[in-house]
Amino acid sequence: MNRRQFFKGAGIWGVALGLSYPLLKFVVAKRYRPPRKVHIRDTLETGQFLVEPEFVLFDTLKGPLAISRTCTHLGCRINYQEDEKIFLCPCHQSRFSWDGRYISGPAKRNLARFNVKTLADKKGYLVLL
Amino acid sequence: MIFRSGSIGQVALGALIISGISGIVVAYQYEAAIPFVSSVAIEAVLPFGAFWRALHFWSSQAFVILLGLHVWRRIGDLPRISQSPGKRRHWAVVGTTIPFAIFALFSGYVLRHDATGMAAGSIAEHLMLDVPFIGNGLDCLLISTGSEGVNRIYVVHFLMTVLCWMLGTWYHTKKVILRGGLFLLVLATSLLFSYIVHAPMDLPGQAVHLIKGPWFFLGVQELLRHLTPLVAGVLFPSIPVFLLISLPWFRPARRPLLLLGLWFMVYIPLTLVGWLR
Ligand code: HEM
Ligand code: FES
Repeated sequence: MNRRQFFKGAGIWGVALGLSYPLLKFVVAKRYRPPRKVHIRDTLETGQFLVEPEFVLFDTLKGPLAISRTCTHLGCRINYQEDEKIFLCPCHQSRFSWDGRYISGPAKRNLARFNVKTLADKKGYLVLL
Repeated sequence: MIFRSGSIGQVALGALIISGISGIVVAYQYEAAIPFVSSVAIEAVLPFGAFWRALHFWSSQAFVILLGLHVWRRIGDLPRISQSPGKRRHWAVVGTTIPFAIFALFSGYVLRHDATGMAAGSIAEHLMLDVPFIGNGLDCLLISTGSEGVNRIYVVHFLMTVLCWMLGTWYHTKKVILRGGLFLLVLATSLLFSYIVHAPMDLPGQAVHLIKGPWFFLGVQELLRHLTPLVAGVLFPSIPVFLLISLPWFRPARRPLLLLGLWFMVYIPLTLVGWLR
């Protein structure tokens, strides 16, 4: 390798490395997103439930409960089986109780719960995602 | 004979081009904020939507399969390739088109965002996050459906296509040539300049009473203050375009060139007037 070739190679690598740092920093950063609020304009009787894209909302004697529909295994969207009162994941068949506790399958962890507030006038709920 | 030995590579490139073009067509109606809703609209509501979608889907499948076939056929050349370091490197670099093509195909399913696509996206994201050390970075680069929706995977869908395209033509067949040194010079100049000078942006509340268009538009903007929109905004700016395109039909080209010069002698002062307002 002569001097010219060396400087050429060094130049190319220098530019490539020097650019990859700002590129990676820019691309990997995630913008802050404030928590999303979902308004539910519906009142549930105790024992009733409401299926939303991201959670299932129950109202119980102890107050409302929003169970995340994101599977704790690999993140698939879980469906609520009304007849068995369980959550069953369509991807690898993990099972969870109606209140999100892990029963069986590859997931191993309980489903997340979101914060729910009953709106003051009893006209619905506010779920924080 | 259209088909000759070794033409599978060409057919694969053809499929890639069709996939890319039909992908751009589909993208006109695709909306990353509502991926499933817009995909359904493309399939079921928009005129010829099902056709364009099918064209994109099937040409994409064909591309990946043909690419695989093409590589398979070249395996016979390996004894020759393995003899020279240059050829070995070429093989290794071109071989990366396979994972890129598969990721392009895969990300397409995520873009569709039906139950299968959504599940594919979140499973891929979680698997990636399990890769030690670089998992999070890889996820940010390639998927991030959890926090970013399909935005990033949409970009990556396009990026993978471009990578396949560039590797398969520019690098592989050496059809487009750009001297490395020249490119480095252009790159260095661009980097230096952009490091120093910010790209402009109006702040909110700024430029309320007088909005000046982009520099190349100032002359047209000025003319629009005096003439009808059709004349000032359409006819006048098309004059130089027609002149330029028709130059080879004039022999000698002196007269249209003169007209072109005249046009600029009008346009540059107009630009100055607009700029100095
Ligand atoms: C310029 C390049 C490309 C653009 C702009 C593009 C754009 C898109 C868009 C907007 C969609 C969503 C459409 C929908 O869901 O209805 C899509 C889906 C898809 N793309 Fe691409 N694409 C490109 C290249 C490719 C390539 C190279 C491949 C394969 C290697 C590919 C494979 C797919 C697949 C399999 C789907 C799912 C189709 C469906 O089921 O609807 N795309 N693409
Ligand atoms: S993602 Fe739910 S079981 Fe695998």
